[in-house]
Amino acid sequence: MLGESGLAGKAVIVTGGSRGIGRAIVDLFAAEGANVTFLFRTDRVSAQEAMEQARARGHSVSCEQADVRDPAACAAAVQRTIARTGRIDVLVNNSGVIRDNLLAWLEPGDVSEVLETNVTGVFNITRAAVSHMISQRSGKIINISSVAGEMAGRGQTNYAASKGAVNAFTRALAVELAPRKITVNAVAPGLIETGMSERIRTNAGDQALNRILLRRYGQPVEVANAVVFLASRFADYITGQIIYVDGGFKME
Amino acid sequence: MPASISKDDIQTVYPRVAKAIAEALARDPAEVRVTSRLFADLEAESIDLLDIVFRLEREFNIQIPRGRIIEDARGDLPEDEFERNGVLTAPGLARLREYMSEVPAENFRAQMNLADVPALFTVETMCKIVIRAMRDGSA
Repeated sequence: MLGESGLAGKAVIVTGGSRGIGRAIVDLFAAEGANVTFLFRTDRVSAQEAMEQARARGHSVSCEQADVRDPAACAAAVQRTIARTGRIDVLVNNSGVIRDNLLAWLEPGDVSEVLETNVTGVFNITRAAVSHMISQRSGKIINISSVAGEMAGRGQTNYAASKGAVNAFTRALAVELAPRKITVNAVAPGLIETGMSERIRTNAGDQALNRILLRRYGQPVEVANAVVFLASRFADYITGQIIYVDGGFKME
Repeated sequence: MPASISKDDIQTVYPRVAKAIAEALARDPAEVRVTSRLFADLEAESIDLLDIVFRLEREFNIQIPRGRIIEDARGDLPEDEFERNGVLTAPGLARLREYMSEVPAENFRAQMNLADVPALFTVETMCKIVIRAMRDGSA
């Protein structure tokens, strides 16, 4: 490493932090010495387990239950976090759901749930956190997008639209918050080995692997590496960017 | 019409309002006079106004609804008589001038855009916003 990341003692919020990529992000921030609070929606057992395992390693990790689709719940969760930490240095918008199907076969709920969680959820939690960052005159916001935001496959209209919106949100908010030295970036993972992508990986098989230059799926920690980099002092001069962590998925 | 706000009311909240504004703008509190205009005198930018509002909400434990000044100034005047396509009508401008009595009359222009209203805000405007929000909270 290049030296201290500057993340020790920083207050970090990660949404959707109990499983998959979110959990890897929580663990990596905690390993850097950050004071991490992750939000989870329903899976209290996984959340509790993630928190206890982290604490057993001596890490500073807490969790709050909140549905990112609910603005009042987001505001309350941020408020409870602030009451403990006194500030928010980093916000990672990681919560996301996938409901793939051909457009004609999508149920209305498949569209609304994806857009409400992946897009409205990002608005809700960011609006709750940003007032504190503005007053602090510092902060780093990192949104988890997807390669699907730029180039999606069949059956991903809802998911692709949501991640395209996250990319646009990232660039627009970067403009808005730059005067207060707050950076806003996104990390766009390709096919990562998580429960959420299991069906895609199983169905697409070799066809998907053949589209990845590095010929393998990514690991959650490889996404977390990019997120922690963007939150670190090494990325102080980076804002409004979408960083692809996809093994070269979109190059071919 | 909301209850009136006296000079004493203003003076009661002014020190804490001035402190919040000074912190948001990274200025010496002594520079923040009750008559100072946020944008023209204290060189605030639009994001600073947000910060000021957030700080006042935390300092006084109040909610400051966005667009509240405009709504209150409009009062019982129907919306389309108050503004058209974002531009204040003559009666609308008269209402606003009356409501924001702390702002020198010459600062109001005919055909004024609603989006330009915050540029008129003074420190006293923010004091009045706080007082009204506190009254809302205790109502």
